[in-house]
Amino acid sequence: MAARGTTPQQEIAFRRGTLHGKQLDAKQREELLKPFLPAEPTSSDEAKAARRRRASLKSKPKSKRHGPVKTFLYFAIYHFIALLFSIFFRFRRAYRLVRGKLISLLKYHHRTPEFIAHDVKNLVKLPKHLSVIVEYQEDDGSQGTAGLEGLVNDVCEIAAWAASAGIPLLSVYERTGVLKNYLPQTHASIWNTLEAYFGARRKPTLSLRAPHLSSYSPPNTPPQTAELNGDDLKEDRQHLTVLLLSEHDGRDTIVDLTRTLAEMAQKGDVHQEQINMELIDAQLNDHVSSEPDLLILFSPTVQLKGYPPWQLRLTEIFHLPDNKGVNYQVFLRALYNFAKVEMRLGR
Amino acid sequence: MGSLHDSRIHKWFATSPPVAWTVRQLRELLIGSLKQGPIPQHVAFVMDGNRRFARNHHIETVEGHNLGFESLARILEVCYKTGVKVVTIYAFSIENFKRSKHEVDALMSMAKVKLQQLAEHGALLDRYGASVRVLGQRELISPDVLQAVDKAVAMTAHNKKAVLNVCFPYTSRHEITTAVMKTVETYSTPIHNLPTPSKRTFSESHIAQTIRKQMLEEDTESRVEQPESRSASPSPKATAQAEDERSSSTSTAINPPEKDESQEPTFLDPETIGAQTLNDHMMTADAPPLDLLVRTSGVERLSDFMLWQCHENTSIVFLKCLWPEFDLWQFLPVLVEWQWQQKKLREEQQRSRGRSKSD
Repeated sequence: MAARGTTPQQEIAFRRGTLHGKQLDAKQREELLKPFLPAEPTSSDEAKAARRRRASLKSKPKSKRHGPVKTFLYFAIYHFIALLFSIFFRFRRAYRLVRGKLISLLKYHHRTPEFIAHDVKNLVKLPKHLSVIVEYQEDDGSQGTAGLEGLVNDVCEIAAWAASAGIPLLSVYERTGVLKNYLPQTHASIWNTLEAYFGARRKPTLSLRAPHLSSYSPPNTPPQTAELNGDDLKEDRQHLTVLLLSEHDGRDTIVDLTRTLAEMAQKGDVHQEQINMELIDAQLNDHVSSEPDLLILFSPTVQLKGYPPWQLRLTEIFHLPDNKGVNYQVFLRALYNFAKVEMRLGR
Repeated sequence: MGSLHDSRIHKWFATSPPVAWTVRQLRELLIGSLKQGPIPQHVAFVMDGNRRFARNHHIETVEGHNLGFESLARILEVCYKTGVKVVTIYAFSIENFKRSKHEVDALMSMAKVKLQQLAEHGALLDRYGASVRVLGQRELISPDVLQAVDKAVAMTAHNKKAVLNVCFPYTSRHEITTAVMKTVETYSTPIHNLPTPSKRTFSESHIAQTIRKQMLEEDTESRVEQPESRSASPSPKATAQAEDERSSSTSTAINPPEKDESQEPTFLDPETIGAQTLNDHMMTADAPPLDLLVRTSGVERLSDFMLWQCHENTSIVFLKCLWPEFDLWQFLPVLVEWQWQQKKLREEQQRSRGRSKSD
């Protein structure tokens, strides 16, 4: 508030357009602003020439003043700031890392759904559609999270947490979409993880799907059974849908839709006026995914990396600064943040 | 958080001329130093928190918006002085029309007044070299405001150094829909009716005309050389007439058979539509890719802003501070962190390039 570098008179003048109680006209206002403006434009040749002319006429040393000394000063200050901040960033990262580790120690789920259910018990609202962005790391296997195996492992864990928390729909975005090639295998892995969490009798039913590919739910776990049978069974055996998304479901899908619409328009099947937001929304909703309520990023910064744009409209985006890799505390803190509840560490 | 009228001594001190001067020099110095590093080419701001700021400080909502505008002016100064090419601001969402009529009217009149003032100071804007563009659904703007908008846009159109995109009534879904619609329109219009079928600088009709002229000249030359062939070619007057007729018609056809084809409309191939085609139909078509998106007031949502532009490699930053409090001092860490990340990214790229070379 204070550090703007303007005096109260100037402030009033800028705000109300008056100086000493008098209304200013356009010219006076310009005079007032002069000291705050950058130098006259040098980009256009005309101005450059004019400036050179003026400089040669009046004051030669004036143009020298902005020369090497100032440049050096800028250079020095830039590197000083960069150094200062890089130290600050490193300390902050270390602090956040330690804090994150502490929280994940305090809030470990022990691979038990009851613990997770207890963690989210106090939350007034849970996302109906949760989305996560995970990354496929080719190398850098420092934590055993590299490659396809690490990716499947991450997806399984997240699916199990979501099922334990009672979230019915989970969409997993991974840029390359490599998992889409292994639908049955991924399904089997998630299935096993759910079994490890819930036990064979109570594990939720699971269906795995990806846009443009048919839903994959093996015959021994028909998704409808839970709804068809009695209420008590329905409560026990909830259903989890996992949706796999990739970069292709973003821009490319919108491009595909445009192509189809253009083709239809050429045949005269669709008129230009018929293309509206509802039509596009309905198409993308049906073929790709609905709008997620919450998007969790496990990366240190917010970069969406090609996540389907249309669906992101009102999605709450959560990330834990400086966090790297999938872990439970990010998931939990995202849910707390979504419900606007402060997370208490002591129980 | 104290009220605006708190700590008078502090305020008196901070606004006393020498301190103000020093602070201003310091700002200039910082801005000049920031320029030494990489600078984002395109920055977008979601100016959120004006109303909450007003509520916290017990002032009118409209006054909060006014303070927000001042904040915008300050941040624009910082951006353009550091060398940001394009700044996009979310001024007004289509959804905002649902707010109270009083507030909407006040916002509209504020926009009008500010744009009028802007138009008065065309020469000053030239110093920044910034041109104003308004993105959004123009039909929703009332005529008097629209007039001010058009005037400001026209006045600054010649500036090429920097761009200020004001999203005013805007939502990203509307933008994407419009882009899809325009693309479909382009591709469903028969090629022959298009004024310029492609973006090439050469026009087919012009080339056709030149060819015809050349043919005509050859004709006349040959006629001069061999006057006996005159009977074979039509008389010069007749050709001139035909020429006139042809050039007056908009058809681009050189020879008649093509004219018959135009009755069966031919279209551009829809398979040639790509992400770039849609990109070109977005409202930010000629702007560089969005590097940085800043949203204030701690809300971690995009709220229908720049969805198409920011879902690739944009760094999105959510800040806790409210928009009227946003200034160089809040923006500096964001910018420095972005520079830091950029440096890291470049190092990583170099390393991976080096690795691939050594492999």
